[in-house]
Amino acid sequence: MGVIYIGDRETGKTSLAMELANPNSHYVKVTHPDYENLKVMLYDDAEGRTKATDASQALYDRALEIQVELPTGKKEILLEWLDTPGEIWRTRWQQADENQPEWQKFLGSIVDSEGILLVVPPYREIISGANREDYITQQQWCNRFERWVKFFRQDCPKVRHLVLCLNKADLFCDVNKEASRLEYSPNRSPMTWQKRNAYVMQRYFRPIQTQIEHLNKNISGLAIRCFITSIHNRKLLELPWIYLGSFLAD
Amino acid sequence: MGNICVIGPRASGKTTYLAALAYKRMTIGKSKQFNIIPLNDDSREIAEKAENIICQGESFEPTRVESVDTLPDYSFKIAVKKFPRIKEESFQLVFKDYPGEVFEKIAESDAGDAIQEEFIEECFRKDVEGCLILFSDWIKGTDNHYNRIINRFLELMDSHDRAKDLRLAVAMSKCERGELWSGRLDPETDLFNRHLPMTTATLREKVTPKNIRFYAISTFGVLRRNDPRPNRIDEQGKSGQASVLREIPRWQPYNIIAPLYWLNKG
Repeated sequence: MGVIYIGDRETGKTSLAMELANPNSHYVKVTHPDYENLKVMLYDDAEGRTKATDASQALYDRALEIQVELPTGKKEILLEWLDTPGEIWRTRWQQADENQPEWQKFLGSIVDSEGILLVVPPYREIISGANREDYITQQQWCNRFERWVKFFRQDCPKVRHLVLCLNKADLFCDVNKEASRLEYSPNRSPMTWQKRNAYVMQRYFRPIQTQIEHLNKNISGLAIRCFITSIHNRKLLELPWIYLGSFLAD
Repeated sequence: MGNICVIGPRASGKTTYLAALAYKRMTIGKSKQFNIIPLNDDSREIAEKAENIICQGESFEPTRVESVDTLPDYSFKIAVKKFPRIKEESFQLVFKDYPGEVFEKIAESDAGDAIQEEFIEECFRKDVEGCLILFSDWIKGTDNHYNRIINRFLELMDSHDRAKDLRLAVAMSKCERGELWSGRLDPETDLFNRHLPMTTATLREKVTPKNIRFYAISTFGVLRRNDPRPNRIDEQGKSGQASVLREIPRWQPYNIIAPLYWLNKG
């Protein structure tokens, strides 16, 4: 069962995936490809950062094998990582004749998908410390999410698990404190998934809470779960995958 | 081996009920009266899902189907020991869990897609001993809706020559809810007659009395014997359709085996 992994440009999708493969893990391990191979594919040593995903190809179909430690033991998820460059979400890109084959191919892959992981960036108003002007305003963030809502409703009728990851959590909260609050343990977690979601939604996704509720009611059988993620905190990074693994693992 | 169909409208708790049966460690606890042994991969898998999903404070997804053949078969051996010195009785059951919309569609006059037909054929096969029908709602208009479905269901039962030998265990599910919990001891009078009078009257009138029983069941149960608050939280943002456990270590279902015992033994 494929999980689609999407997000706008510069939201940190590639870094998140690469960091997930870091062998220094708790409950989620990428068993294939290994960290070094993934790094060669995705990291630009000269630039000292991940390579920007090339917009000339809309769909990068990479298979990842992920092992998740659940209460009943270790389970494998075969993750079909369909990475896309941020450009493809621009209407102009989608409408250009030369991009039609790639865009249609992408829609073809997503229409049957039951799991989608959407990475969104933080908005200016919640950021403390970093260069706030580099980030979109809360209003722009809400408007952008509205376009996602339209996309999910139109093009993803079969989606059952929509995982929203507000990335770069280190820019807007104390990641260690939040990680210990939201921590997962296969034996006895301090919080249930329902409580984690309620907490993260209230605290970080409030501006789009109404849109999330609306979307939940519009796609039958859909569950939307909100997470905060950061490459600087392993516990937070693993949570969305453990959640998806609980439903999709074999 | 007895074949049982678990049917009922959407979100009536069918899959969660089967998961609770499969996940005996938590739900049956230290009871010496019952033992449930999952017999096949599907039932072991749903037991694992109970632990990975329900016991982590999440709820199951609605069951969807593209063909009846792709639905899992859950097979269990259930052992019941009524009294300490009496030999235990055991029976094996195979369940099919049908999506709620398939059941609801039988009341529609233009129904008749392939899945619908497969569902009807499977339900009324000669080797099916009985159906466990779960209902969970009673808001305005529900009784009328359920009544139309049941009327059609009974017509189909008759046309498939099962009117005299198919047992129906009709259960009000999610009885941990405060409005229902006090009615659990006499469910026919205090739950069905009161909340679903038309549906109940139809069932009483059209089904041979020996082939029908009414039950109150609760998959999540209540918190404690002297604290009958429901052990559930209704999830926000899902139109109130999904619930999760409130206190996981206190998960103790109520009356989930009795209807199966009756369906099998009569």
